[in-house]
Amino acid sequence: ILGSLGVVLFMNPIFSAFSLGLVLVCISLFYILSNSHFVAASQLLIYVGAINVLIIFVVVFMNGSKYYQDFRLWTVGDGITLMVCTSIFVSLITTILDTSWREIIWTTRPNQIIEQDLISTSQQIGIHLVEGYVIGELCQLLDVGLVGYQLMIPSLPFASQLVNHQG
Amino acid sequence: MIFEHALVLSAYLFSIGIYGLITSRNMVRALMCLELILNAVNINLVTFSDFFDSRQLKGNIFSIFVIAIAAAEAAIGPAIVSSIYRNRKSTRINQSNLLNK
Repeated sequence: ILGSLGVVLFMNPIFSAFSLGLVLVCISLFYILSNSHFVAASQLLIYVGAINVLIIFVVVFMNGSKYYQDFRLWTVGDGITLMVCTSIFVSLITTILDTSWREIIWTTRPNQIIEQDLISTSQQIGIHLVEGYVIGELCQLLDVGLVGYQLMIPSLPFASQLVNHQG
Repeated sequence: MIFEHALVLSAYLFSIGIYGLITSRNMVRALMCLELILNAVNINLVTFSDFFDSRQLKGNIFSIFVIAIAAAEAAIGPAIVSSIYRNRKSTRINQSNLLNK
């Protein structure tokens, strides 16, 4: 949380890049806390492993004497932008705290499809990705109608489990 | 509860990202603040997916797509910035007018 302030307010861009890496690692720990291990692993591999290394490379690559001449000018526009962003943050906080989340969860809870507990999180993400996108593309590619779509699903080993469970 | 804390954290990161994106004069710093905004959106997606849709995980799938788009943006954005830097020897935002000649 303090690292994100460091991204914005540090003079030296190298400190901004390292505090950005700190923010990304903390967000990844938050994903683990929020029962999303696959997104946490993707966060660590892609954001911290690739994007942050790339940003540090660009910062070190461009680091010349130009940065010491860029002294920070606190103009009137910065103050106006600070007030606008603070008002955005305050309005978002009031919206978050005033909404009664308990009532929303009871309306959506019975609509959930109860699946088996044996399937882990990563397998569910894979099933949803393949089932939702690749099957549609295969049907569109082979140019078959609804009958072909019905015939295709039981032949696939992972989709037949879901179909038999729902039917 | 942890749900409202997560939403407050997301709003906090989003506000700081917008402030940094608007007030930054360096192009590389603008790209860093854009990463903050994308991460704030991802926190929202994962939090709502964990709270409402604890079996279907559609919010997780969407956040993986956002991570992929952010990776592509992080590859192309610094490439453009370094190309402008080689031509103009500056990373100021208001001096990126090479197409105007």
